[in-house]
Amino acid sequence: MRTGRAGRLSRALVGCHPRRWRERYREEMLDVLDQHQASARTVLNLAVSVLSTHVDPAYRTEALSLPRLRRAALISAVIAAPLALILGPVGYGIWQDDHWRPAADEGMVSAAFSAHAAILVTAFGVTLDGMDMVWDVTDLSRPQRLSQFEGGQPTALSPDGRTVATVTFSGRTALWTVADPRHPAQIATLPGSPFRHFNPDLRGQAFSSDGRTLAVAYYDHVVLWDVTSPARPRLLRTLDAPATSPPGSAGLPFSPQDLAFSPDGSILASATGTDQVTLWNAADPARAYRIADIDDPGAFAQGFAFSPSGNLLSVLYSGGTVLVYSLADPARPARTATVTGLLARAKFPDGQSQPDEVLCATCIWTGEAVAFSPDGHTLTVIVNRTEMSANSGRDTIFDWPVTGSGTLGTATVTARDAADSQPFIAPSDRTVLGSPSNYHWRTWPLP
Amino acid sequence: MHGKFDDLGRFADPSLLILTSLADGPKHGYAIMTDVAAFSGVSMEPGTLYGALSRLERRGWVRPLAAEERRRPYEITAAGQEILAGQVTTMQQIVQVARLRIAMAQGA
Repeated sequence: MRTGRAGRLSRALVGCHPRRWRERYREEMLDVLDQHQASARTVLNLAVSVLSTHVDPAYRTEALSLPRLRRAALISAVIAAPLALILGPVGYGIWQDDHWRPAADEGMVSAAFSAHAAILVTAFGVTLDGMDMVWDVTDLSRPQRLSQFEGGQPTALSPDGRTVATVTFSGRTALWTVADPRHPAQIATLPGSPFRHFNPDLRGQAFSSDGRTLAVAYYDHVVLWDVTSPARPRLLRTLDAPATSPPGSAGLPFSPQDLAFSPDGSILASATGTDQVTLWNAADPARAYRIADIDDPGAFAQGFAFSPSGNLLSVLYSGGTVLVYSLADPARPARTATVTGLLARAKFPDGQSQPDEVLCATCIWTGEAVAFSPDGHTLTVIVNRTEMSANSGRDTIFDWPVTGSGTLGTATVTARDAADSQPFIAPSDRTVLGSPSNYHWRTWPLP
Repeated sequence: MHGKFDDLGRFADPSLLILTSLADGPKHGYAIMTDVAAFSGVSMEPGTLYGALSRLERRGWVRPLAAEERRRPYEITAAGQEILAGQVTTMQQIVQVARLRIAMAQGA
């Protein structure tokens, strides 16, 4: 709460004391408040004082009567209601964050790589509980765990490997410093929706390539923050992306790859609403603006990948559709390739079209990842089909050669059975991370 | 602890701090808050300060002096000094016993 607002509220509360109290102490208290740095604590303290003096027999000037009781109840309600509105959500959010507990047996749901440092932050546990771990991946085949913290899903790691953006248990964006990777510490929390366990509005977070801007995508808008000083994030711009469908109507609420900056940071690609993909000019984040909408294939965007030179954008949709766009003119993205039906071609373990036994609809789960190779000559999509009831999964890997103009050659398709779930493609080489459960993950090389 | 202090309920600790602050001379509200913060590190809010002051005044342990514009100084009364001395004696006994038991525990 701002001091000015707290000061005004405090002075108003002094006037809410009983008449005899005001006659005796009002001027003194106002004099004290003139010199005192009022805060939310001051407001709460004075609110308690108002309530306690109203029930104090020494200051009850009249006998209790029904009208007087009504008046006291009205005053209490007027004081308590705004306080409950202000402090309730905040307190609930703090309680949720404080009671975050690691999940007992969960696979990896998020992996955030730094661009210029050998740091990887992983998150284990789905939606309600989670454990974040910081790894030294100088040698990705021999990762060293440096520390762990309970901060939520890390969806982005700054390019210098010093700041992690997480989604907290209460659904807010939190910034953690991992500058000392053995001792992570939370340094800031951005406004969010504290009532929600798993914020369906929050779509993704991404750092710009210079690490100075953090983009946070919600259901119908994207917010840009100046995180030059991560402990003091500064709001730069809110970009409206009006949703064409009502919230919660359908869709997959959150995907780590749903938001991405181009390699030079000049373009931001976002997935909002249920199926809206928008390109923003983010060259000057404080004056960012919409430059184009990507046409809608009738599915949910599950991930973006910019080519290393930034001239191509690949969009992976649920249901197994991949579109490639040329960004030679970012205001008029031109589709250069369309591939459909990947989900149907991605088999279940042992090459089955369907698992032998399906206990429920949610027992079949799909995880996807999309990336260009570091040289930009290959586009890779991994589709994971997992049969949860049998704790088994299969990754199907589609590799397409990419021409300079963005057309795709014939796909090479390979597959491997693994008890993994969501795959993650390491940005610096052709390595995939997968996690079976129990805070473990392993790597395997792409063919 | 002193029985009369127990009657102060949640204002017992603030009252002890206020009496201690006034023990070396009269002070107005904000001066009491800053003095208490200086010697005890306790950050007292205005609602607590005046809640405790009103109770101390009713018990005759502090006395309001003539207001200086909007500020009204308070001074400790003889009864207040007696109460404060009693509280301090009780606390000294507690400190003495605690030190002895800590020393015994560390010796063991």
